[in-house]
Parts: sequence; structure tokens; C-alpha cells
Amino acid sequence: MVFNINAVLPELILSAGILLIFFLDLIKERINLSILSLAGFIVCILSALSTFHVRYPASAFFNGFKVGSAELVAKMLIYLVTSLVFLALYDFYKRKGSEYGETVYIILTSALGLSFMLSSTNLAIIFVGLELSSISLYIAIALYRKEYFSKEGAYKYLVMGAISTSMFAIGTAFVYLAIGTMNITSPQGFNPIISLGVSFLIFALALKISSVPFHFWTPDAYAGAPTPVTAYIATVPKIGYYFLLAKLTLLLFPSFKEWYILIGVLAVITMFYGNITAYAQKSVKRLFAYSSIAHAGYFLTAFTSTDKFLMTSALFYVFVYSLATLGVFTILSILDKEEGWRNHFEEFKGLFYKRPFLAINLALFLFALIGIPPMAMFVGKLGIFIGLVSKEMWILGFLFAIASLISAGYYLKLIVYMFLEKGEGEVKSPVSVGEMLTINTCSLLTLVFGIYPKPLFDIILRSI
Amino acid sequence: MENILTLMIFLPLIGALLIGIIRNPQASKIISLVFSFVTFLLSLVLLANFDFNKEGFQFVKKINWINSLGISYHIGIDGMALLLIVMTTFLFFCAFVWSWRIEDRVALYHALFLMLETACVGVFSALDFFLFYIFWEGMLIPMYFIIGFWGHERKVYAANKFFIYTFFGSLFLLLGLATIIVYGVVSKGVFTFDYITHLKYIDYPRWVELLAFLLFGIGFAVKVPMWPFHTWLPDAHVEAPTAGSMILAGVLLKMGTFGFVRYSLGLFPEASEFYIPLIFLLSVIAVIYAAMMAIAQTHIKRLIAYSSISHMGIVTLGTFALTEEGINGAIYMMIAHGLSSAALFMGAGFIYDRIHSYEIKNLGGLARYVPVFAVLFMISGLASIGLPGLAGFVAEFLVLLGTYKNHPVWALIAGTGMILGAAYFLYMYKKVMLEEERISDAVREKWMKLKDVEIHHLIPFVMIIASAFLLGLYPYPFVKIIGHTSQLILGG
Repeated sequence: MVFNINAVLPELILSAGILLIFFLDLIKERINLSILSLAGFIVCILSALSTFHVRYPASAFFNGFKVGSAELVAKMLIYLVTSLVFLALYDFYKRKGSEYGETVYIILTSALGLSFMLSSTNLAIIFVGLELSSISLYIAIALYRKEYFSKEGAYKYLVMGAISTSMFAIGTAFVYLAIGTMNITSPQGFNPIISLGVSFLIFALALKISSVPFHFWTPDAYAGAPTPVTAYIATVPKIGYYFLLAKLTLLLFPSFKEWYILIGVLAVITMFYGNITAYAQKSVKRLFAYSSIAHAGYFLTAFTSTDKFLMTSALFYVFVYSLATLGVFTILSILDKEEGWRNHFEEFKGLFYKRPFLAINLALFLFALIGIPPMAMFVGKLGIFIGLVSKEMWILGFLFAIASLISAGYYLKLIVYMFLEKGEGEVKSPVSVGEMLTINTCSLLTLVFGIYPKPLFDIILRSI
Repeated sequence: MENILTLMIFLPLIGALLIGIIRNPQASKIISLVFSFVTFLLSLVLLANFDFNKEGFQFVKKINWINSLGISYHIGIDGMALLLIVMTTFLFFCAFVWSWRIEDRVALYHALFLMLETACVGVFSALDFFLFYIFWEGMLIPMYFIIGFWGHERKVYAANKFFIYTFFGSLFLLLGLATIIVYGVVSKGVFTFDYITHLKYIDYPRWVELLAFLLFGIGFAVKVPMWPFHTWLPDAHVEAPTAGSMILAGVLLKMGTFGFVRYSLGLFPEASEFYIPLIFLLSVIAVIYAAMMAIAQTHIKRLIAYSSISHMGIVTLGTFALTEEGINGAIYMMIAHGLSSAALFMGAGFIYDRIHSYEIKNLGGLARYVPVFAVLFMISGLASIGLPGLAGFVAEFLVLLGTYKNHPVWALIAGTGMILGAAYFLYMYKKVMLEEERISDAVREKWMKLKDVEIHHLIPFVMIIASAFLLGLYPYPFVKIIGHTSQLILGG
């Protein structure tokens, strides 16, 4: 069918929502940002629910748009996490006097781009979706009144992102040259040109997921962006990119015989670089930027093979990682509302005595990021371990373990500052209802998926 | 009946949640006393209903949990686990009684200890690798905060060191688990975390055993701690609060030795035999080196910590003697050491409560001022160094006997280490409790007003000492229960 409404149902709802919010923002001179973000929340929830009504597998737009189970699961996770981002967003902008209605629909547009990116096997359409989402991100980072660093971060991201764009384009071109179509359906025979194409595609995605040596934009963009937007860029696009990576790994990468060496090397240098550099950071926001680089390395280890179990573990891990990271950045954004807050380590001293709720939740997320059971990240780590060992990639598994151990140190440092040191002064920044909801949902889900990961794990495993 | 074990695991956790809801200092003390006492009583119910003529695990409960990963909630106990659980719940109850006078962040303190109790009981009763690992790591966070919050001057350093070392070991343990589980998938096509399935139906080839033994071994050795992974222990003990030290020495160290008996011996019999020389070397170094280190210490808690390392060396020695007496002795030693080290740390804690110093040079002639305490401390120490009639003696005797059968030279060397054990304790006791001439008149005046043991000190002391006597004078039933495990391991 040329135009199958049912197949694009979530995207339709999302687009309609974007237009609606756009007009709402347009017609009223100063509309309350909380109403807009509530609208964004509702749109996300509706799209997430609509994924249940899509009959799959289906296609639309002359097979340019295809949905299967994996795409639907990915979309649902993306919309759910985005909805949590909206809950945590409005109060920050209000207190910072930077109420741009654009923020809401820009973020929605980025989510829309991600879902288009995921719903195609055509590299050209993937490219368009990827760019739609990335360009929205550049804007979202820069939308911060009177903040120089947000512009700097956005600019850096834009310049580095342009490299990724061109690498993706040229990779697509090489693939087209080699196999005569941009549709990726199954691994093709060995061909030197396709190897070149695959390498370029891997580099392009490596930049997006901030893998070393393409990570330079990450700390600046994370630290410069308004914290709720950091929460978004650190979580939702990651889910999209890794689902895309999973699809490409299954369908395209094996055409390049040594692809797993390339990804393996990227993974190892990424996790070690991220974890070691994190120790040098004085700003907590930058610390989490490096932690996210290190995690990119962990996730990449799973894409060194076409094993579905390994991939499921990684995707599960990515999702629960984004829950914990969203929680972390929401807490940071609450603290950021404080006048003159610099996110410096020193300011976290004795946070437990000043704000026990924030400190305990942050500690929970930190322990989760270290990978301690019963938090959900442990299940992901365990899955990747087992997967790697079962594919006889002992060295990668071993290095993964060492890197996780190294990472424990800097997370603990923050815990020590919050709990075991005495700090002066007070932290008064208020917690809005939305932020409270986001934090509680994230910490609850981190625990629940740790204790009972079965449903989510099974859903992902069956879908891909 | 099979639900009692589950109840025991989660009862303390419920108590912790209750404390979190109520948040009243006095109420939290009462809640934790009641919950830990009920847990202790339940463990006695288990003891009474344990059928030690029946082979295999008892009170087994199995519920499917995560099917796609082959994980189930599977618990059950054998003789060793039973005794360790009874000891654990007993020591936790003692620790709560001891902490009756605590004033700093009371609710949090008790909640953390109750969470720790859940993790400890869970480790001893888990029969699923995943469940085991969750509890194993679960004790990390409460203990980290117990040291970090209520410790002494260098608490942050000690807490971090504790965390990093233990986490280091755990990661190796995790790799080891991954290895054998993957082997299960590859060879038999069964994806399972179940301990019993692995024990009974999956035979590992030699290279898998050798590799997995090392990976498991590093994980357990850090926790035991065996030389050369022991350096976190003295720091953690010195900085931990008294009740924290009691649990750390009494229960947490036993997790490592328990792991060796349950997992290393059970799953990798061939590798265990292969690594005997290595383990014996490390154990004997631990026994002698740690005892000599203990003699050189000037800090009471550090001294007791080194004595713990030395005793743990005896446990690993007995475990890998691979004779029935050896393993019986090793398990007996776990219980005996759990009781006596807890009592010794209570003694150190009492001295610190009264004099505010752990340094031997600031102490002397205390026996005159706190006579009751002097007696209790002496008995605890004698139990620790293995005086006949007390628990430690039976354990040391069995270990030496078991080791001597197959490896007489090693037994001889380790035996000398035990003599050193008597030396460091008696030396410390002499300096701290007896030598009156070392203190000035001004201090003497001040100490005249020292209060002797109070009721919340006396109860745990008396209970622990009584059980040390019981274990020392009438070992037969305990050896029988322990024999349940050692026969399981040697026979299987």
C-alpha cells in the first residue's frame, strides 16, 4: 500500500502534536511553558500508546518506511523516556527566565526524527531521520537565554555533527556503489568498497554516540546545554542510535568481514578513555559526560557480533542506563536552579544533610551506574558479560570488567562528597511536581527492572 | 516450613522499611531488636527441624524468576549454611543490643544494619548464582555507609578502600560465573544459573575448572581476605564502628570462606586439588605473617584485625586439606571465629567507649577499674586463641588433624602460627589490662570513676561467651551438622 496510515500512526500523532504546540506557541504572546510541556508529555504518551495499535510488519511510502516489532519497541521506549523529560523540564526554564516555547516542539521534532530513522531500511531515509533529530538537538542546546556556553556547546556539536553527517553520506554512497541499492536487507558478499562504506557508517554513528576519538563535542555540549536538554540528549537519542546500530549490525555490517575488530577497538579505547578522563573532572556535569562516553564503550562491545542475546542485553542496558541518567540530570537540573550553582564537586559536599531526597536518589543512580545489583544496570552488564564470553571474546569481557572497576572510583567520589563530607551553606532550589515524578519514576523503574527484568528483556529479545 | 527461610531473608528488610517510614530513633531501636530477635528465633526453628540424616539441601524453595536468562529464585540450606545462618542472626541480634546507646543518626544506622542482615542471610541460603551475586553485592552498600558514617578519623579512606577492593573481587567472581554458565550453554545447551543443576549435571573439562576456579577464587579471596588481598581489612576494621566491626569480622569474612567450600570445592573438585599448593602457601603465609603483624601492632582493633586474617588462613588451610576432618574444622572455625572475633571487637569497642583510645600506649592496668570487663575480655581472647574447652580449640584441632593426614609439613608450619596467636593476644592483654605502672597518677585518678560493663554490654558478651563454651565443650551435634556438608562435598 502506498500510504498506510496505521503504520505511521505514532509519527502522525507526534507530527500533529508538534504542529499543535507550534500554533499554541504562535498565537499566544506569552503562554505558560508548563502547559506546553504538559502538552508535549501527553503527545508522547499518546504516541507511546499508539504503538500498541500498529499492525506489524507493515510498510508505507513505497517501502521506504517499514515497521517491525523491534522498531515499535524502540519507538515506545523513546516516547516514554521523552515524556519523562517533559515532566522535568518546565520548572528549570521558568526559574532561569528562559521560557522558550520552541524547546518543547524542538525536542518532539528530535524524537520524530529518531522514529523515522528507525523505521526504514533505506540508508537515505535513515540519513534524513538522523539529521532531523540532530539538527533539532543543536537548536535545543542553544535555546538558553543569556548563556554563552550553551551557544559554544551547540556550535561545537554542530561542527562535529557536520563531520558525522558527511561521513554518513559518503558511507551511504559507497554502499550504493557496491551493491547498487540503498536498501539494506541482508549482508552482501565481501567487497572492498562496501567495507569502506561500512567503516564510514560506523564512524558516523560513533560520533553520534560519542565514542572516542569522535567524542570532543560531548563534554562541552553536555555542560553547556540547559540541564533538562542535557537530560534529553544523554538519553533518548542514545536509545535510537543503538537500536539503529543493532539493525545495521544485523543487516549490513557483516559484509565487511573485520567490522567487529573496528567496533571492538573503538569500544575499548572509548571505555578506558572515558573512565580515566572522568577522574580529572571538577564539574559534575562534565563528569557525567565522560561517564556517558565510557558507557558508549560498554554498549559498543555488544555490537561486535550478530548474537541476538548480546544485542538484547545491550539494548536493555541502554534503556535502563537512560532511565538512571535521566534521573541524574534531573537532579542536577534541580540543583542548577540555585543561584550561582556551578555544578562543582565542592558544592555537593554534605548534600545528604541539606537535601536528603536528592542525595539518596542520586546515590541510587550512582550505584546503579557502577553496576551493583539489585539495580537494573547489573542485569545489562551481566548479559553483556555472558554474551561476550559465550562468543569467546574473553579479552573484551575482561577489559570490560576492568573498565567497570575503574569507573567505581569516580562515582564513589561523588557519593563520598555528598554523604561523608560536611558542607557549608544551604541549597534551597525547590523541586517541582514534574521533577519529583520523573525522579521517582526513574529510581523506581531502575529498581524494578533490576529485580524483575524478565518482561522488558523478553520483549526486546523477541522483537529483534 | 519451606517459607521460613524466605521469611528470614526478607524480615530484616521489612524492618528496615518500617524504620524508614517511622523514622523515630527510639522506635527504630526497638524495631530492629524485635525483628532481629524474631529472625534469630526462626533460625532456631530451622535448626530444630533440620534433618541431618537426609542428604542434600533442605527447606528448598524454587520460583521461576527470569526465564530467558535461566534465573530462578532458588533457596535452600545444608548443614554449613544452617549453622552460619544461626550465627549470623545471633550476631546481628547481639550487635543491635550492643548499639542500644547509639545516638548519631539512629534510624539510618539500624536500617542499614537490617539491610545488611538480609544480604548476609541471603548469601548463605541462595542456590542460584544470580541470587547469590545480588546478595553478595547487596552487602556492599550498607557496609560502605556504616563505615563511612559512623567510623573514626579516616573513615572515608577506609570505606572507599573496602568498596574498591571488594568490588574488584566481585567482578572476577562475575567473570567466573559467566564462564561456567556459558560452558553450561555450550556443552549441554541449558542456560541456567541454578547451582544444583551445575553441581549435578554439568561436568566441566579441566581447563574450564582451572580458569573458573581462579576467577571465583580471586572473588572469594578478597572477601576472606587471603594474603595478599588482605590490606583492606585492617583499615576497614580500625575505622568501622564497633557493631560494624563485629558484623564485618563475624559474618562478612565468612562469606568468602563459605564461597570456597560451597562453590570452589563443590563445583571444581579437580581444580581444587590442582591448586592445593598455591592455596596452602597463601594460607600459611596468612597464618604466620598476619600473626607476626598482629604482634607488632599498637592499635587494639588493628591487632584483632590481623588476628582475623591469621584465623582465616586456618580456615582456608582446612578447607583445602580435602579431608572430612579438615573441612569440618574449617567450618567449625568459621563459627568459632565469628563468635570470638565479635566478642573481641566488642571488647575493643568498650575500651574506646570508656577511654576514647585504641592505642595500647594510652592504656594499662584497666583490670583494676573494670574487673567484670577484664574477665569477659580474657575469656573472649582465650576463645579466639583456642584454649581447650572453648570453641576455637575444637576448630584448630580438627583443621590440624585433617591437614596432617595428607600434608604433614604444612600442618606443622601452620601449627607454629597458632602459637604466635597466643602470643599476640596475651601480650596485648598484659599491656592493656594489667601493667599498671604504665599509667600516670592523674590518669589513675580519672579512671577510678570508670563505669564497668552495663547491661547492654553484658548481654551480648554473656551470650557469645556461653555459646563459645557450648561449642567448645559439646561439639558433637555441631560436628554432625557440619558433617552433613562435608560429606556432601567429599562424597559428590
